[in-house]
Amino acid sequence: MAAGFIDFAITWRAEVYADAPQESSAGDFGTLGITFFARKPLNEEEREDYFARQVCEVPASVEEA
Amino acid sequence: MDAQHLGDLDIEELREAIQQEYDLVAREPERGFHFHTGRPLARMLDYDDAWLEDVPESTIASFAGTGNPFRLGVLGQREHVVDVGSGAGLDSLIASQMVGADGHVIGVDMTPAMLARARQGAADLPLQNVEFRDGYAEALPVPDGWADVVISNGVLNLAPDKAAALGEMHRALKPGGRLQIADILVQKPMPASAKRKIDLWTG
Repeated sequence: MAAGFIDFAITWRAEVYADAPQESSAGDFGTLGITFFARKPLNEEEREDYFARQVCEVPASVEEA
Repeated sequence: MDAQHLGDLDIEELREAIQQEYDLVAREPERGFHFHTGRPLARMLDYDDAWLEDVPESTIASFAGTGNPFRLGVLGQREHVVDVGSGAGLDSLIASQMVGADGHVIGVDMTPAMLARARQGAADLPLQNVEFRDGYAEALPVPDGWADVVISNGVLNLAPDKAAALGEMHRALKPGGRLQIADILVQKPMPASAKRKIDLWTG
């Protein structure tokens, strides 16, 4: 994640603009309210260890293509 | 998104438009906006009634968040908290009660009317462990490594330079410190031309 945070997780999402008093462009872009958590690593060792453990899984549809 | 990707968008013009919008939220919260506000919004976002019990109604009325940072974890006693884009101060005042007299909360906002609203709310309670500072998310007026937690609610999406804002949050946090952020997620591709339309940033 940008700036070197670890343990990033989006924990909640909801349509927070629905039925707002004034019309919004939010719906045009599928805009959702979210909450996310992240943590600053304790030290460089924890940061390196965290990123070394991250695995990017390629979706099957991409692999087949 | 960093500021370099905004092309010819005038950052000062953008900030001025955002300030105008949130000046209205501070002064005339009952006007009705393209987002929800006030106590109905707090209820919708699952804020505990107990958190709001002692908060002045004028603070709650100008609340305009997009989520609930405290659902990511209640703050601990004696913690230091930075509230980035503190607005009318609702989250800062809730945080100041969670961290107790030995904790401290710094709310940062760029809109004078919101700062005034937040300071009045803290004075009305009254709370000694919370203060509100004028500043931008990209240049937080907070010492390095001061905060146990950085909270923010519906503000990062308004920061022209999001990488700089996240970098500042990282700088302000102690090692091991937490980000507890509420914001928005756009699920459909947004063309570059749309990113340069100031009315889309504010509406």
